[in-house]
Amino acid sequence: MGFEEIPHTADRALRCWGQDLGELFVQAAQGMVWLLIGPVTPLPTVEAQIELSAIDAETLLVSWLSELLYLYERDGTLFTAFELEEISPTHLRARVRGAPIDQLQQQIKAVTFNELTIHPRERGLETTIVFDV
Amino acid sequence: MVNKQDFKRIDRYVWELPRESRPDMRVPARLFADEELFDAAFGDRTAEQLVNTATLPGIVRYALAMPDFHQGYGFPIGGVAAMDAASGVISPGGVGYDINCGVRLLASHLDREEVAPYLQELTSALYQSCPSGVGGKGRVRVSERELDELTVQGSAWVLKRGLARAEDIAHTEEGGQLPGADPRQVSSRAKERGRPQVGSLGAGNHFLEIDVVEEIYDPDVATAFGLRRGQVVVQIHCGSRGFGHQVCDDYVKSLQGAVRKYGISLVDRELVCAPIDSPEGRAYYGAMACAVNYAFVNRQILAMGVREAFERVLAGKVRNVDLFQVYDVAHNIAKFEEHEVGGKRKRLCVHRKGATRAFGPGRPEVPESYRHVGQPVLVPGSMGTASYVLVGTQTAMEISWGSTCHGAGRVLSRHAAIRQVGGAELRRELEESGIVVRAGSDKGLAEEAPSAYKDVSQVVEVVHGAGLARKVARLRPLAVIKG
Repeated sequence: MGFEEIPHTADRALRCWGQDLGELFVQAAQGMVWLLIGPVTPLPTVEAQIELSAIDAETLLVSWLSELLYLYERDGTLFTAFELEEISPTHLRARVRGAPIDQLQQQIKAVTFNELTIHPRERGLETTIVFDV
Repeated sequence: MVNKQDFKRIDRYVWELPRESRPDMRVPARLFADEELFDAAFGDRTAEQLVNTATLPGIVRYALAMPDFHQGYGFPIGGVAAMDAASGVISPGGVGYDINCGVRLLASHLDREEVAPYLQELTSALYQSCPSGVGGKGRVRVSERELDELTVQGSAWVLKRGLARAEDIAHTEEGGQLPGADPRQVSSRAKERGRPQVGSLGAGNHFLEIDVVEEIYDPDVATAFGLRRGQVVVQIHCGSRGFGHQVCDDYVKSLQGAVRKYGISLVDRELVCAPIDSPEGRAYYGAMACAVNYAFVNRQILAMGVREAFERVLAGKVRNVDLFQVYDVAHNIAKFEEHEVGGKRKRLCVHRKGATRAFGPGRPEVPESYRHVGQPVLVPGSMGTASYVLVGTQTAMEISWGSTCHGAGRVLSRHAAIRQVGGAELRRELEESGIVVRAGSDKGLAEEAPSAYKDVSQVVEVVHGAGLARKVARLRPLAVIKG
């Protein structure tokens, strides 16, 4: 499992992969955190639970990442450690841990659906996510 | 795959891909470009995204890309598409996340020499008066009810509170109020995010700039716009903040269901849409119009912050501290407009994503004081380089639904820009060339490095040459403020 940045003219894009949907969602979240604050991991001091439903796995993925961005904007807490307690293509429940962060290196306006498809690959599931920055 | 060879050059600056090139295209795709910019459309996914746009139901005549085009998500940036209001679709992906991101130009009565001794102080005062940065809180606090009011009334709401002048509103696209706004269609999360941010600049490519009018190309039109050589002016570039981002986010998600319901087949999920004349389409329009009005209010309140800063620093030191509004344009929007199609007037929903309205003389939408020449078009360049004031044309009415470019357009990923130019180095370079800089972070500064953009002058030459707008004046930056 992992993630890597891929080139985009104006925005930021990540390729993420994992053995299963749970790993893929964790990698996507970790990739986004890497875009937001770089390769540092603050010591988690805050814990929360996130529960989301959506019409399909791609929409659930966008909702998941959008929820993490929203919680940062609302409370100033950036979640950096993720444990998916339950996941299906249309529902997830996660325990997340993080810490207050003063300043982000990167603003992300939104997680887009640009050509967003979760593909089965040899290494499990893979997807490309474009972030509007 | 979209092949470069399949495009035909139909005019000096117009390249067309015929409808037959891909089975799912409903109309041809047209790029406005010179040879070099045309090549750039194939260096990223611009051409492909434009062709994808040409597949949307109800699209009329052609899918267009203005010469500052680059790869976006869904539509390309610089994309313009007009949908038949009766049978077409409306797409949040054709507007973008920063709904009614736009530019406002304020002009002073002062010459550069008069402001020069106070430039450092003035820039610091502007930085304080206009809150910036990621998630930054705005200049005014509003209740939930006031937020609903301002998203319906737009700039008129600001006028009632004494934070605007009637002439500011007259010189704002749509008079600062897009009709049809319906706050009931806006989620509570969008309202929650928008409430604290009214009157804030934000981060990213948003900025505030003090410029000098360096060159006048069309003296008559410049006079009509109140512009003259050597004059100090201010540009404000920002949008609808978290409110607009959330409206787009909500509808890109919720309309995925509408796509299924109405049996629309999409090549890219970001092109998600709904029939204009459907409950889902009307809901998006009502919510988007709220975000459009939020952005007009946002820029209006920032404009008052700019006036305050000028007053605070310059009062008693120069002959006149006042700033008047030249114009305010939107460059991410969908609107109902009437255009000529096959000799008949037709009601269209024109999507402009990274494109500016450029209506020519005589249109009732153009403010009375400018109606004899056409509307002002504001084209900011990349940081530290030139910006342009253009005027809308009759040709634009005929070939681009009265639309033109919105900026320089990017050429590199922001990631690559950071690798090439360090923020601290860029700050030093700007300062060495006499530009005063106030920025939240060096990294944010580096992302906006001029090397990350096309040459705005090249883009404007294409626009001018193709008749999409005409050059009126060029601005040169004296001071830059960034989130």
